[in-house]
Amino acid sequence: MAFVDHTAIAGVSAATGQPALPPLARTIWPPLRRVLLALALPAAILLLWQLTVARQWVSPQILPAPALVLGTFLELAHSGELGAGLLISLQRIASGLAIGGVLGLALGVWLGVSQRACTYLEPTLRALFAVPTLGWIPILILIFGIEETLKIIVISKAVLVPVVMSTSRGIRNIPMAYIEAARVLRLRRWTYLTRLTLPASLPIVFSGFRLGLSHAFIALIVVEMLAATEGIGYMMVWGRTLFQLDIVVVGIVVVGVVGYALDVALRRLEQSLSRWLPDHG
Amino acid sequence: MTSFFRPLAALLLAATTAFSAHAQNLPEAIRFGGFGQGFGQPYGLALLAVAQGKGFIAEEFKGAPVKLSFEYLTGTGPAINEAIANDRLDFAQYGSLPNIIGKAGGLPTRIVASYGYTTVFALSRKDLDVKSFKDLKGRKVAVAKGTVLHWALLKALQDSGLTLRDIQLVDLKTADQLAALTAGSVDAAVGSSSLLTLRDKGVGKVFYSSKELGAKASGFGAITVTEGFEKRYPEATQRVANALVKSAHWLSQEANREEAYRIWALSGVPVQAFKDDFDGVALKDVFNPRVDAFLLSQYDDAIEFTKDNKLIRNDIDVAKWAAPAYVETALKAQGLENFWPRRNAIVARH
Repeated sequence: MAFVDHTAIAGVSAATGQPALPPLARTIWPPLRRVLLALALPAAILLLWQLTVARQWVSPQILPAPALVLGTFLELAHSGELGAGLLISLQRIASGLAIGGVLGLALGVWLGVSQRACTYLEPTLRALFAVPTLGWIPILILIFGIEETLKIIVISKAVLVPVVMSTSRGIRNIPMAYIEAARVLRLRRWTYLTRLTLPASLPIVFSGFRLGLSHAFIALIVVEMLAATEGIGYMMVWGRTLFQLDIVVVGIVVVGVVGYALDVALRRLEQSLSRWLPDHG
Repeated sequence: MTSFFRPLAALLLAATTAFSAHAQNLPEAIRFGGFGQGFGQPYGLALLAVAQGKGFIAEEFKGAPVKLSFEYLTGTGPAINEAIANDRLDFAQYGSLPNIIGKAGGLPTRIVASYGYTTVFALSRKDLDVKSFKDLKGRKVAVAKGTVLHWALLKALQDSGLTLRDIQLVDLKTADQLAALTAGSVDAAVGSSSLLTLRDKGVGKVFYSSKELGAKASGFGAITVTEGFEKRYPEATQRVANALVKSAHWLSQEANREEAYRIWALSGVPVQAFKDDFDGVALKDVFNPRVDAFLLSQYDDAIEFTKDNKLIRNDIDVAKWAAPAYVETALKAQGLENFWPRRNAIVARH
């Protein structure tokens, strides 16, 4: 009988086009496959980059060779310049994310639950949010100078906007059925907030946070390019001033990788939070 | 026989003249670039703006199908280096530090002419009692790092017996310097005459101007040509140099001062800035186009500075970089050999 079973499995495998795999490979292969597929595009870009340099399609001063960029990366990492710059930038991101995130969450919840707040506040907020960060900077420098405060305010504002928007939207979009059920159950305000509002709006709130994170990176680079003497954004402007675009490319890659890592971390946090919060479904 | 050879000879002659016309080889287009102070106007400053505005360059190529284009980049030095690397410019007028940074980075440029020098100013916060750089020891001074102003700051400090280590240098661009000084985040700022708006608004006090020290502490730079262009079109390069010398000569006439200010003001820089820069200064001294021992020693000095401050990775052979012959030929042809002095090196050239 066992023999027959085997052929049956082999037959199915052949039909789906999958090679028959030993059990270990079957558990490792799918995630590995996903990683490899995700790396395909970066690898293709790297290949195109190398080709562009080798064929001299672009001046080597504008697009330095991957090997040179790697060398510069190692040099900057070894001298501690990159680490120090990244640390400063990440501190700025963290402060901005904390301040902008908390304020944004509070404002968003308020706008989401209170019709009055919505009427009074939302038009003004939307108008303020429409002004690009760059437009605020001269005025902010006049008030706060060019020190850390300025940078953190600019980054916080960048985080605040998407967080407020998605939080209020997330709360307003809670299905009517849930709200009616809660009303029937006569839930207390706090229970209502923790049991219904937050869990139900969690996915949208988190997508707001993740959008906020990417905005934080944009704001960080803008503010460090304008008025800073350290940080990863400053390193990139300085590289451009020195006509050493390998430094700029190192900055682009580092910001990309770090931004991706933080986004993954936020997604993990969302997953564990939704497990921790009671299921609303 | 002759009846057979004559047309052949005529054909040959026609071919050779056509060929020599081709060998004279003027380009289809010449692309000029320069700094534009970021005011977004398609007009520039200094020597190149006059060569364009008074039509001196166009005159040199009259009758020839050469298209001239002028581009004034808001990104100044770094953007000009990138434009040269991307083969978008043949001639470029920009500051000595980005000149040096570009050359050290492998840009195939050659120095054809000096574009004149610019006055450097230093302003302090109104509430500080600053009479000279000596009073700024240990204080925050804003300057755009990696520009000729950075170098000029060192020259000013040296004049007061100080070095860059005696102050806290804050890297800011002009617009942010204005805000930072107004907010009191920095104690002083070093920049071009565009800083003087703060003096006019009563926010800052001018305590230093490079006028006192003259050319040796002022902003300077060059009009460069790419090696490729120079090699292919030596005749066109010479004609451009001719036009630059004519422009410098025109600028040297006192009668033309007001008109020159008006040409430069097209860039968006207020006329007052040029008055601050040049009133009381002989424009003939400022716009000496010669690539002479003085200019090269200035470059030597600035190269030393960029090496000390780790702004460049490779050394530069200034003697090979300079192409003084074009301006000298133009001076001879225009009978101006003795109009400008051949200036000596400011420090012994090595």
